[in-house]
Amino acid sequence: MDDDRVFKALADPTRRHLLDRLFQRDGRTLTDLESELQMTRFGVMKHLRVLEDAGLVVTRRSGREKLHFLNPVPIRLIHDRWIDKYTERHVSALADLKTALEEESS
Amino acid sequence: MTTTTMQTVQVYQVFIKATPEAIWDAITKPEFTERYFYKARIENSSDGHRSRGPDGSVWADEPTYEFDPPRRLVHGWRSLYDPDLAGEEPSRVTWEIEPQEGGYCLLTVTHDQLDGAPKTAESVAGVGWMMVLSGLKTLLETGEALVP
Repeated sequence: MDDDRVFKALADPTRRHLLDRLFQRDGRTLTDLESELQMTRFGVMKHLRVLEDAGLVVTRRSGREKLHFLNPVPIRLIHDRWIDKYTERHVSALADLKTALEEESS
Repeated sequence: MTTTTMQTVQVYQVFIKATPEAIWDAITKPEFTERYFYKARIENSSDGHRSRGPDGSVWADEPTYEFDPPRRLVHGWRSLYDPDLAGEEPSRVTWEIEPQEGGYCLLTVTHDQLDGAPKTAESVAGVGWMMVLSGLKTLLETGEALVP
């Protein structure tokens, strides 16, 4: 719903690292996620909160544990909205260049 | 203990600017699903979850566990179009539609009970459900089919 939040969430190496960890294996606990980071538990929680607010991480309770899941859908939507648009233009610009150069040489 | 849980639950969420009823129709009626769900014609009713491919072949035929329009749908999942996937144990898909502010709904799809279906888990993970949900959002918000 809010592209700004997704861009902000992605604009931080720790948060990208957390997303990569979840990409490798989904459904991790906070304890598991903080294990590789030189950061306080509170710091990791804050980052996870930003990711959750952006919709990139979804949490589920499983008994006494809170598990974190990667939700890749917002990244896909940004891809559809931004990346596709510009790569298409890039490709068509190259195609136009090719046509122009070939016309010139003939 | 947790290791199994981790590998066998997948959760996806998307905000869609549409009414719960419109989303419910889009996930339960074949004329909608064929426009965003890999061309599958899926019919979800209280009787079951049935999916057919464009050539009419049966892609899925599983029970419905919960049918509560327009909020919650729970059904079985087993892909019959691929012998490797068809040989695995059935898993479970839960659709939850929660109205939000500003005419939006939050749609959550949870695919779990994948313990006996590692190949299925891999085939639907990441891009699999992501394309379905982004396609569903595009269809409902713009009326266009995203995936050819």
